[in-house]
Formats: sequence, C-alpha cells, structure tokens
Amino acid sequence: MATFELYRRSTIGMCLTETLDEMVQNGTLSPELAIQVLIQFDKSMTEALDSQVKSKVTIKGHLHTYRFCDNVWTFILQDATFKSDECQETVGRVKIVACDSKLLTQ
Amino acid sequence: MAASSTTSSVYLHVIEDVITKVRDEFVNNGGPGEDVLTELQGLWEAKMMQAGVILGPADRPLVTKPTPAGAAAPVHDLNVPYEGEEYETPTADMLFPPTPLPTPLPGTVDSSLYNIHTGSSDYPTPGPESTGNPSENAESKTGRPGSYMPPPSPWIDQRPSLGVDVNVAYVEGREDTDRGGSRQILAKDLFVPPSGKRKRDDLVPQYQNGGFIPQQDGADDTISEALLVKEETLPNIETLFLGQKIPQLDGQIPDPYDDMLSTPNIYNYQGVVNEDYNVASTPMPNELQTPAQLGNNDDPEDDDDDEPLNENDDDDLDDVDEEEEVNTQHLVLAQFDKVTRTKSRWKCTLKDGIMHINNKDILFNKATGEFEF
Repeated sequence: MATFELYRRSTIGMCLTETLDEMVQNGTLSPELAIQVLIQFDKSMTEALDSQVKSKVTIKGHLHTYRFCDNVWTFILQDATFKSDECQETVGRVKIVACDSKLLTQ
Repeated sequence: MAASSTTSSVYLHVIEDVITKVRDEFVNNGGPGEDVLTELQGLWEAKMMQAGVILGPADRPLVTKPTPAGAAAPVHDLNVPYEGEEYETPTADMLFPPTPLPTPLPGTVDSSLYNIHTGSSDYPTPGPESTGNPSENAESKTGRPGSYMPPPSPWIDQRPSLGVDVNVAYVEGREDTDRGGSRQILAKDLFVPPSGKRKRDDLVPQYQNGGFIPQQDGADDTISEALLVKEETLPNIETLFLGQKIPQLDGQIPDPYDDMLSTPNIYNYQGVVNEDYNVASTPMPNELQTPAQLGNNDDPEDDDDDEPLNENDDDDLDDVDEEEEVNTQHLVLAQFDKVTRTKSRWKCTLKDGIMHINNKDILFNKATGEFEF
C-alpha cells in the first residue's frame, strides 16, 4: 500500500520519531526495524484518518504564498480561520502542506 | 494543550495499530523481542502525553492488548537462545562466534557484524544546525529545525561514505555485471554462510557501511562516481583502493556534499519496502529533503564561495516566512483532492488532515479552503 511520510511531521509522528531515535541511539533497536515502524506508522495514520475521522473543516484566509512542487502543495496563509463543528481557531500565519491524494490510489 | 478526545482516541488507535502490526517483526526471527516493543509503546505514549495530545491510556479505546502469552508464545520459543541478550547483542552474534574486534574499521564486514547497536557512533552525528531531519525540511527550508522537531536522526540521514566500502568495490570489480543489486548480494557472499536466516540479518552490514539502507528495487542510485570509475578500469582490489585515493591527492578533496546535492534520491531509504510505496512517496522526499541538504552546505571544505545554484531560491523565498513560523508552528498536513484558482481566489479541497493549531491537534476528514491571494 502506498503511503505518505507526510504525517511523520505531526505531533504523533514526531513523538514516534523521537522515541525510535532514542532507542536506536542506545542500541535497543536496529535502524532498519525503526524504519519499518515508521513505515507502519505511515500506513496506520493514513488508514485511521480515512476511516476514523469524520469531521469537516473550512479554512479561510489570506494566501501569502503558494507553491506546487513535486506534487505537493504548500500554502502559507495569513490571518486564517479554521472552523469545524467543535471549534473555531484563528491564527496569524499557518502553513498547509498537502500531498496529492490520487497518489495513494494508484 | 487541550487534547480533543477524538484526536486522542484516534492517536491511541494508531499507536495500537502500529504496535500490533510490527509485533511480528519484533518477536520473530531474532527481533529484539516483546520487551522492546513494550518499551517503544511506553515511550511513544509518554511523549504524546507530554505533548498534551493524548489524554492518557485511561481513555484508550478498548483494544484488547495482545499479550505475548497467546499467539506470540510459540514463535517466541524459536528465540529462546537469544533470551537475556536482547539489549546487548545483535542477532548476528548468534550466527558467528564473537571475535574480539576492539577497533573495527568502519565499512568492513566484520565491524558491521559486531557493531550493530553502536552503529550510530561510527559515523559523524549530524548536529541539529547542520542537518535537517528529512521529515522536517519542508518546515525549515533553511535547514534549521523547528523547535518542536527532534534533532535529526543519524540513522535516518545516514548515507554511504565515499569509497570506504572496499568490499563493494572488490566484488563489483570482479563480477562487473550486476550493478543494481550488487551491494546486497556481495555482502551476503562475503560474510553470511547459507544459514537460511531471515533477510534482516543479511541486511545488517549495509546499514553499518555508513548506515546506508540499500535500495533493492530499481536501479541502485547510490553507487558513487568513484566506485563506478574503479569498477570499469581497475579490477584488482589493491589498485582499486589506490585508484580511490589518487583523485584526492591533486586538487581539492571532493566534498561529500557535492554528491548529495546532485543525487537527492540517495536518501531513498524507503526502498526496502516496496515499489508502490516509493512511487507515491517520491514527491515528499524531494520536497522535504532538498532544502536541508542545501542548508548543510556550509561545509568548510567547500572552497567555492558561490553558493549552489538553487540555494538562494529557497532561502530568499522562505527566510521571512520561516522566521515567524518557527515561533508559531501552526501546521496543517493533509492530502489535496483539488486545487483551483479563479483570478486571485483560490479554492482547495483537502482530506485526511492533521492540523496543529494553537497548540491543539485537530484531525479532519475533509476540509475546504478559500484563500484570497
């Protein structure tokens, strides 16, 4: 199954990466096994977002920068508002990184 | 620091899912064992709680935690001889009687065998300033890690050093045919008796030879130019070794980063898994890694005052953005279905996203964005 490494930059992904780092550094874990764990995380995170999350969000804001490179869109928004059923958040600057969803269904 | 309950439960589900699905790798065939897996999960969850994104194991969706006693036990028996040494010794020790190697040469097969767990000390550990973790580079185009990013992982960033790997050159020079899979095959030939052991053991030396993870599918793009030249012209191992040195005596010593710049895909550490994965993930490594590699290029041996061509592009573009962004760290990671623009009005539909906004993690299934440029 195809996956993105994208989600490794999320909080949960960073926590996992840190953990694996430590365990590789102190010799508890072999690097290749650590990478297998990361790849499994890519898969599990993608699946979970697809199957377990139902919420919908609308984003509005001033588009400061846009970039499309290697099938990845990067937007930098200013004064962005995020609205979902649960909450509304406003931030002065936010970066959106989005991979092409079609790549996963290839 | 609020942890939304849905986010928390999804995260816990992911943790469980990952742990369950890698369990086989940990307990079978000389893996480090269930204890290490438990440690991994514990550390991971602790960090998550520290970050405030999970509420604690109490609200864990009741997944029956698979216990080692059940399914894993029969398999575990296979590893009985390994018990008690899990933290100390690599499985390779079981294959070969330990030979004292006080100062093993990096890159030799023997040192790889006995250095499995200390591999990261064999090569320079990139400092946080000089190297970016591949997973953070889109965030910090200048190579400066965001403050919530961990220091780069040596085992992720490792790459083959130029020409230390005499064994590679030797075998390639001799056979001079199969360039693609040669790294893997030769290592096996040289040190592994046909033991029928699992693949993982065979792979170990490659990681130690500079921590490089072999690409097994498709063309091997990691063979350095030096090796290629030697391979064609100098089949003898001694001349091979000399041939490698000669170019460094006259003129400047080749900057290892040059290689990196010209072959970004050298980091294709995902190659182990499968081709499908590579296809889909190719965009991300390019997007993520290139900037950090450029950021690394402050090597003192780089005698050229001119910066590499595309370095300035990234820096100029992002300097202003990143300065503030490091402090704010609002980030949305998602997949896009569609991005359209009418004049200055942009619309996009995103899905399967993780947002980290105002210190909260929010997940979404769908998102629509309307931006004014």
